[in-house]
Amino acid sequence: MTVRMGFVIITSRCIDCDACMVACRSENDVPLGHTRNWVKSSGVQGQFPRVSEMFQPGNCMHCDNPPCVSVCPTGASQKRSDGIVIVEDKKCIGCKYCLTACPYDARFSNSETGKADKCTLCLHRLEQGLEPACVQTCLGKSRQAGDLNDPSSVVSRLIAQYPTRILLKEVGTGPNIYYIDEAVPDIPDGK
Amino acid sequence: MELTWGLMIVIYLFTAGLSAGAMITSNLAFLYGGQEFERVSRWGAYLSPFPISLGLGLLVLDLGSPFNFYQLFLTLELSSPMSYGSWIILFFTLLSFGYLYLWLPQAYQKVGQTLQLERWKKRLAMLMPFLSIAVASYTGLLLNAAVRPIWDAPLLPILFLISALSTGVAAVIMISNLSPWKRARHKELHVLTKADAGLIILECLIILIMIVMGRSSSASESMAFSSLLVGNYVWVFWLLIVGLGLIIPLFMELMELKGKIPVKWVWPVTISSSFLVLFGGFFVRYVITYAGQTNSWF
Ligand code: SF4
Ligand code: SF4
Repeated sequence: MTVRMGFVIITSRCIDCDACMVACRSENDVPLGHTRNWVKSSGVQGQFPRVSEMFQPGNCMHCDNPPCVSVCPTGASQKRSDGIVIVEDKKCIGCKYCLTACPYDARFSNSETGKADKCTLCLHRLEQGLEPACVQTCLGKSRQAGDLNDPSSVVSRLIAQYPTRILLKEVGTGPNIYYIDEAVPDIPDGK
Repeated sequence: MELTWGLMIVIYLFTAGLSAGAMITSNLAFLYGGQEFERVSRWGAYLSPFPISLGLGLLVLDLGSPFNFYQLFLTLELSSPMSYGSWIILFFTLLSFGYLYLWLPQAYQKVGQTLQLERWKKRLAMLMPFLSIAVASYTGLLLNAAVRPIWDAPLLPILFLISALSTGVAAVIMISNLSPWKRARHKELHVLTKADAGLIILECLIILIMIVMGRSSSASESMAFSSLLVGNYVWVFWLLIVGLGLIIPLFMELMELKGKIPVKWVWPVTISSSFLVLFGGFFVRYVITYAGQTNSWF
């Protein structure tokens, strides 16, 4: 089966330390003022004394039907055969059409290059057999990445074991970040 | 999300529509009106190439990599309205300059024989309406494809088309009234004013249907349309678009058509009503461009 790269993010394990954001910025030289990944807070929920707050990390969802790719007028935005959505800088004219088309606001205009910028799933690290920087650095092991089509990958094992949800399903982009909200005591072994 | 497409894009959407509308006005006046409509056809032809050229210039400046813009013309991506739209606009703009040349007074037509040029004028006048409709409505498809609340309204291309025609007609009325040379005759103006009034009524209907459809759609969509009716854009929508841009000029045009305006007032009323139509057309693009971005899915 073809490779389909994506993430599993376990919100119950995120403590909002923002290490993933720092790791991404230094790994990918992301200019200040914008970020390729983020941690969103649900705000305080419930009534005292039973209050809770959920943290939901995110980044480009490397969608199955990425609108950012279909609207790109030059072919700079592409979906690779392994599912990773990338921007080929050489072709990008900086029209920002893809920014408007992404329902997750996962893209920004890089003020240094003038090009559209976003998560590359750390393609350059994958090629060296390393995990994405945000995954490797994640303190709570909340972030996991891998091949969603390979049943022996960590991400597939987690999805098989726990209920998951995806964001803005009704928009039809087919996002490839699967969120698990339940407590996950042990991260399964796998590729 | 933060505002990605700002005023430059609004101006571009407006000027592209204006040029397309002026072009069609000129083409149809020439094809169906002949000599009697010679003045408005001429002014439409003189006007059409310029707004869109200005808009295109701003558009290129707005790019993050302006010097890379030629990449647009190395490919044709059928899934991207911006890609096929760029090609359509390229042809439209080049041909609109050609069409302008064909309308120049004979003394300025240094190339070509008069008879041949006349034949070309007719041919272009038959082709340009199709290109103009494409230019005016593709801007709606452009926003449609980004699938955001408001932007994904299926009627958006039609709204932009009708608004483009209306602003085009209004601009031709205005210029052919302001100019001391080749000033439009009463009969020409009467027909154009009638057309514009019809277009405004149509535009009101389309806006109404869009709102009803949007409000009965998903929660995100409904919320986005509320931002026009009662939210952040309430003033722009009701005052600048509905009031000053549609109802008041429509009222003025209807009075003119009925001959209810005293003769000495006709000129200022004509100029102000056409100005208001342009003004409203601009804010239609503004409100859609902005409200589509300040609202997102939830
Ligand atoms: S999350 Fe946004 S940028 Fe990433 S693939 Fe989906 S639409 Fe494109
Ligand atoms: S900004 Fe670049 S990647 Fe995005 S749509 Fe425009 S050309 Fe394509």
